[in-house]
Amino acid sequence: MIASTIRWSHRNLFAKPLDAVLSLVVIPLCAWALYSGGSWVFQGAQWGIIPESIRVLLVGIYPADQIWRAWGTLLIFGLLFGATLGCVFFLHRVLALGYCLVVAAIALVAVYSEPTSALLIVAAAALALAGWFATSRWENLRRFLVPAWTLGLIAVFALLSPPGIGLWGGLMLSVLITMVTAVLSLPLGILLAFGRRSQLASVRMFCTAYIETMRSVPLILVVYCVWIVLPVLAPQYSVPDVLRGMAGFTIFFSAYVAEYVRSGLQAVPKGQVEAARSLGMSELDVNRYIVLPQSLRVVVPPLVGNVLDVFNAAPLVFIIGLTDFLRAGQMVLANPQYSDRTYEIYIFLFVTYFLIGSLITFAARKLELHLAKGAR
Amino acid sequence: MTVQQQTGPQPRFDLKASAWSRRKKRIKHDLLQIAIIVAMVGILIAFALAVRNGLARHGISFSFDYLWQAAGFDISEGKTFSWSGSLPNLTDFTAADSNAQALITGLFNTIKVAVLGIIFSTILGVMLGVGRLSTNWLVRQISFGVIEFVRNTPLLIQLVFWYFAVVLQFPPLAAAAKLYGGFIISQQGTYLPWPVLAEGATIPSAVAASVGIALVFTALFVSAKLRILALVAAFAALALAIGLGFPFVLDYPVANRFRASGGIAISPEMAALLLAIVVNSASYIAEIVRGAIEAVNRGQWEAAAALGLNRRDTLSDIILPQVFRVVLPSLGNQYINLSKNTALGIAIGFPELFNIYGTIANQTGRTLEGIVIVMVAYLLLSWIISAVVNFANSRLAMGTSR
Repeated sequence: MIASTIRWSHRNLFAKPLDAVLSLVVIPLCAWALYSGGSWVFQGAQWGIIPESIRVLLVGIYPADQIWRAWGTLLIFGLLFGATLGCVFFLHRVLALGYCLVVAAIALVAVYSEPTSALLIVAAAALALAGWFATSRWENLRRFLVPAWTLGLIAVFALLSPPGIGLWGGLMLSVLITMVTAVLSLPLGILLAFGRRSQLASVRMFCTAYIETMRSVPLILVVYCVWIVLPVLAPQYSVPDVLRGMAGFTIFFSAYVAEYVRSGLQAVPKGQVEAARSLGMSELDVNRYIVLPQSLRVVVPPLVGNVLDVFNAAPLVFIIGLTDFLRAGQMVLANPQYSDRTYEIYIFLFVTYFLIGSLITFAARKLELHLAKGAR
Repeated sequence: MTVQQQTGPQPRFDLKASAWSRRKKRIKHDLLQIAIIVAMVGILIAFALAVRNGLARHGISFSFDYLWQAAGFDISEGKTFSWSGSLPNLTDFTAADSNAQALITGLFNTIKVAVLGIIFSTILGVMLGVGRLSTNWLVRQISFGVIEFVRNTPLLIQLVFWYFAVVLQFPPLAAAAKLYGGFIISQQGTYLPWPVLAEGATIPSAVAASVGIALVFTALFVSAKLRILALVAAFAALALAIGLGFPFVLDYPVANRFRASGGIAISPEMAALLLAIVVNSASYIAEIVRGAIEAVNRGQWEAAAALGLNRRDTLSDIILPQVFRVVLPSLGNQYINLSKNTALGIAIGFPELFNIYGTIANQTGRTLEGIVIVMVAYLLLSWIISAVVNFANSRLAMGTSR
């Protein structure tokens, strides 16, 4: 054991003089950082603030007596996520077991503070598992995925809006903005991508101009601009801030989606198009049945990465006065009695963002491997 | 940035098409083309009219006159153009200056952060990217951890964290001055020693010293033979400068109770914005660099090893020069992203372009005019960066046989 440790460290830490010097500098630094960080996490930090303010962090100023609506949203999303997972990863016994263990751990933590929430979390997780099982077992169900997502999002909107769209906040708002943007920017992006390689020079020019402009200006500017311009354009309707923000995000990110899709369109071999044309297919059919399916297969991993970009950009809605996850954290800190808990709150935010972000990155990488299997 | 125009689809060859039917097709195509252009222009005009009507309903007209009115607010840092006689020169911004000059100050700050950010993030990014492939296990893991963490969390929370949890937690000025001496790192700002012209410096000695320092830096980037030449020349120039009385002295910052003077000052906002943007972009650049290093043919490594080069020389003389040629377009995209990300400075009150625009819009109510200006400014900034990168790319690509 000791011998193998020495051999390992000789090979990996002290193989060359430069490595040895680096190790000698880095190891004490790491040890010190770990020690001071660890002692703060386990002794100095007062984590009590997190359960105390968890409702504000997760749903912002959403009224407490309407919180069941947010739970309903969690259940719907659980089912949909599970079903989506099932299309890509087959539900092995090991995976299911690991999943149950993670859920049990989360539930245990939740039981400690609130038994009802623990029950609901377990229910959402069970729904996700059911959806996962269903789509990975019966492939016929997969074709209902897109309608299910559309219906699900509409249902979520219908469920959450009665108390007022302006009250949406916290992590819930960040997730909703991400979902709506991801779903709406896809068709817009596909249209723009086709427009950019259209045979008509005018269409090509307009689409290129749109895409390049959006890619050259900051998102925060676009969101703010849309927020300002929408009420000027349609003064008779008072569009809620949340919807204006979503519109800005969609307008901005559809340009990025268009570029990803375009790269996918370019990856389709020319022979495919020629073969389809020689079969007498119309131009629309060639694009719809031959080019698009093959190119979407290539661009699914970058599009999943794009979802992460949207999620990471969601805090920018502070510019139009919305209370997203980060803003909710700052709202908690604005309370004078909590003002010395800066690090606790920020670390909680960082960890949550990092977990969700890593999950999306992981899914994108797995998808890439999964989709590459059938490629030539 | 995808600037290059892609070639349009080739016209299809149709055996049966007679001259007439081909002409008919072309006319149809042209008519469709015109119809689309008319429709697009119509939509744009309708959009502009709707905006104008909407504004008119509030009793506002669309005009840029407000640019020449006095701004009436102060900006904590940055320079602006002002006219002294007929020559423009850089001066500090004061409340009596116009809104246009305020916007220029904002643009100045944006460009300042963008340029510094590009330089530092490239250096840090290459270090992280190489560290990701280091032979040292610990360095590899740390680089990987930093990159993954930064890429999977939002930039805005990183920025806010750097500002509220790091920069603002520095010791206050009075305590900091005792701690760090020549460098002052404090809540109120970071102050670094900076070379200034000494009293009684003569022009020849200043020129000689500048040339000498410039030569030392060029020596870093030229081949070994030229390096010796450059160093000798630098030595001669510096010796001459010292002989004439060395013209530069380091101006050390001196701290009073509430502010420090002397040296060069970096405000806490700028420090936080720069840190956040540099670390964030560096992580993306590191992944680009790592991908490119891994994409370099293994034969290059083997050939270098066969010639007896060690890993460090292989990396710096064989691999990285090839890598830079490959990664330049991706780096250009990253630089554009970086310059766009400076707009987040508004979250912590750094007076960059978007922030100044917000202040002016609040004071004058001119939101839409300002948005047009700011958008054009960012577009120009992005285009300039992509033009520079494309130029560098074409120059670098020319020298290779591949």
